[in-house]
Amino acid sequence: MALFLAFLLVTPLPALVSRADDPAPGIWQTRSDARGLECRTLDQETAHGLYPARVPDLAARRRSDPSSVLVCTRRILGDQERPPRDEAILSDLTRTVEALTQAAALRVPKGITWEVDAFYPSPQVGAKIAVAARTELVEHGHSVSDRVPVLAPGDLSVIHALPAEQAYPLACARYFAEHALTDQEAFLGLMILDPRETQLHAGICTQGQWRWIQ
Amino acid sequence: MDPVIRAWCLLALLLPLTAAADPAVLDAQRAQVETLRQEVAGQIQLRAYDLLDELVYEWTQHPIFETDTPLVLADVSVPVGFGSGLEALVENHFVHLAIENRRTHVVLAHCPQCTAMVVHSGAKGTLVSRGADDPEVLAAAGALAASQHALYLDFEIEGSSLVLRARITRLEKALPIIYAKTLSSSTSSAALLRSGDQLKSAGEARAEYLDALQGRSAYVIPFRIGVRSYASREGAYVTSAPFVWLQVGAEAAFSQARAWTGSVSAGVSWSPQTHEGVMVQGRLSRLLSGSVSSLTHPDLYGFLGASLIYVRGSDALAFSDVAPSIDNLASQLKGTPPTATFAAFQFGLELRVKNRLGVGVFLEGAPALDDAQSIGDHLDLGLLKFQALGAEVSVCF
Repeated sequence: MALFLAFLLVTPLPALVSRADDPAPGIWQTRSDARGLECRTLDQETAHGLYPARVPDLAARRRSDPSSVLVCTRRILGDQERPPRDEAILSDLTRTVEALTQAAALRVPKGITWEVDAFYPSPQVGAKIAVAARTELVEHGHSVSDRVPVLAPGDLSVIHALPAEQAYPLACARYFAEHALTDQEAFLGLMILDPRETQLHAGICTQGQWRWIQ
Repeated sequence: MDPVIRAWCLLALLLPLTAAADPAVLDAQRAQVETLRQEVAGQIQLRAYDLLDELVYEWTQHPIFETDTPLVLADVSVPVGFGSGLEALVENHFVHLAIENRRTHVVLAHCPQCTAMVVHSGAKGTLVSRGADDPEVLAAAGALAASQHALYLDFEIEGSSLVLRARITRLEKALPIIYAKTLSSSTSSAALLRSGDQLKSAGEARAEYLDALQGRSAYVIPFRIGVRSYASREGAYVTSAPFVWLQVGAEAAFSQARAWTGSVSAGVSWSPQTHEGVMVQGRLSRLLSGSVSSLTHPDLYGFLGASLIYVRGSDALAFSDVAPSIDNLASQLKGTPPTATFAAFQFGLELRVKNRLGVGVFLEGAPALDDAQSIGDHLDLGLLKFQALGAEVSVCF
C-alpha cells in the first residue's frame, strides 16, 4: 500500500519537472517572468544548429516530417529599464528598418545615392534608427552616403512650426532649392509623427518631391 | 464617516507616500537598479566581444582591403542606456583583435581630429560637427594623412539579441559608405569556444561545441562503490553492519541535454564469513541544476531507483521478521546459511562532475523490512519508511 502511494506521489513529478521549461506563466514562472521572454518558432534543423544541446538532431529522431520548435529567450533588458516607447522601437528595429528600406528602394531608380536621417524625440535613439537604415541599404547593394542634408537656421525655424504633413514636404523642397540634395541623390527620412506612437513612419525625398512610404 | 475612522484612513493613505519618499528607500532602490545594470552590462560585454570576433573573423576570410590600409576607429556606440565604460571595453577588444589578425589588412590609425568636435565657418554658415563627419575640415587641418577611412561600430539591444552594425566610410566630401555589416547575437555562438588570436567561424565554434557534447556520449558505464547503513531496531538481538556494494551497469541519457538519464546495474557485496550479496537496480535520474547538463559546472541530479537485493550469510538474519533462534545457527553450521531477498526503492541526490565522477546520498526503503526484528527506520514518514541510509561514489567511462 505504501509503495502504491509512493508511486502515486512520485509519478506526476517528472511531468511537473519537465514543465519547468514551459514559457507560459504557471507554477514555475510568474507573469512578469513570462513577459520577459521573446519567443519565435523555428524549424527543427535550424533550432538544432543554434541549440544543439537542447534540440535533438533531425536525423537522430528518424522522423520524416520535421517538427517546429518554439524557442524562447530572455530579453536582455527588463521592463521599464528604458522608456517604453524607445524599447518598443528598438526591440523591433531590424525588422522595421528592413521593411521600410526595401519599400523605399522600390520607389527609386537604381544608381541613386541615398542619404538617411531619423527624426525622433531622443537623439540617441534617432541615431540608432539612422544607422540601422544606412547599414541595411548598403547590405542590399545600394550606394549610401554618411552625410545628412542640412538646412539653414531660418528654414528650420519655419519648418519646426509646421505640422508634420507640411513640414517634411517643405523641407524636401528646400533641400533641393539649397542644393543640399542633387538629382542623383535621394533622402530617406524615418520618424514618428505622434510622440505617443511606437511605429516608425518613412518618406523619401527625390527631386524636390516628398512621398510617404508608411 | 466617524472622524476617528476618517483619520485612520487618511493615515493609512499617507503612510505609503511617506515611505516612498524616504531617501533611504530611494537610495536602496537606486543601488539595486545599479547592481542589476552592472550584471546586464557584463552579459552584454561578452556578447559584444562575440560579435566583434565574428566581424574580424569575416575580415580574415574576406578582407575588405587588398593591402594594409590605415583605418580610424571613429566611433563606438553602445546600447541606449549604457555608458562610456562599456565603450572603452569594446574598443579595447576590437583593437586587440585588429592587432592579432594581420590578415584583415586593417591597420588602426590614430586621428584625434577625426573624433574631436570641429567648427567650420563658411559662406553658408557655421557648422559644428565631428571631424570624421566633415572631411573637408580634416583635409584643411592636414589630418587626412593619417587615414582615408573611418570605422563605426554600433551596438544595440533588440529584445533578446545584441546587434552589431559596422560600417566603413571613406573620408571624402561625399562620405560614401564602402562597407556595412549587421551581426546579431541570436545567430552567434558561445564565447567559450573562441579566443582573440585563434578566431573561428560561428559554424566551426558550433561544431566544436557539438563535438564536446557528443564526446560525452549518450551511454556511459558507471562503476559505483556504495555503503548502505541500516537502522537498528530497539532491543534487537542482531544488528546489521553496513553493507559495502560494488556496482557496475549501463547508463543512458535520453537527450544530448542529459536532463533525464536511466541506468541499470548489478552489484555485489561481500564480507568474509558474514555475508555475500547480489543486487540488481534500475534508476531514473533528473537534472535539478538546470535544463542542460553543464560542460563547466557540476550537475545535481535527483534520482529514484528500485532494487532487488539477495543476501546470504549470518548478516541476512538481520532482515528476518522472526527473532534468530538455535535452529538458525544449527542450519548455518550444517552449511545452509540464512538468506534474505527483498525489494527496495531509493530516493537520492547525486552530484556529477563532467559526467565522469559522481557523489551521491540516498535513502532506501524496503516495505518487506517493516516487520524485520532487527531493522529500524532512519526516517518514518508514516506511509513511507526508510530503513537504510546510503552514500556512494561513482566513476563513469
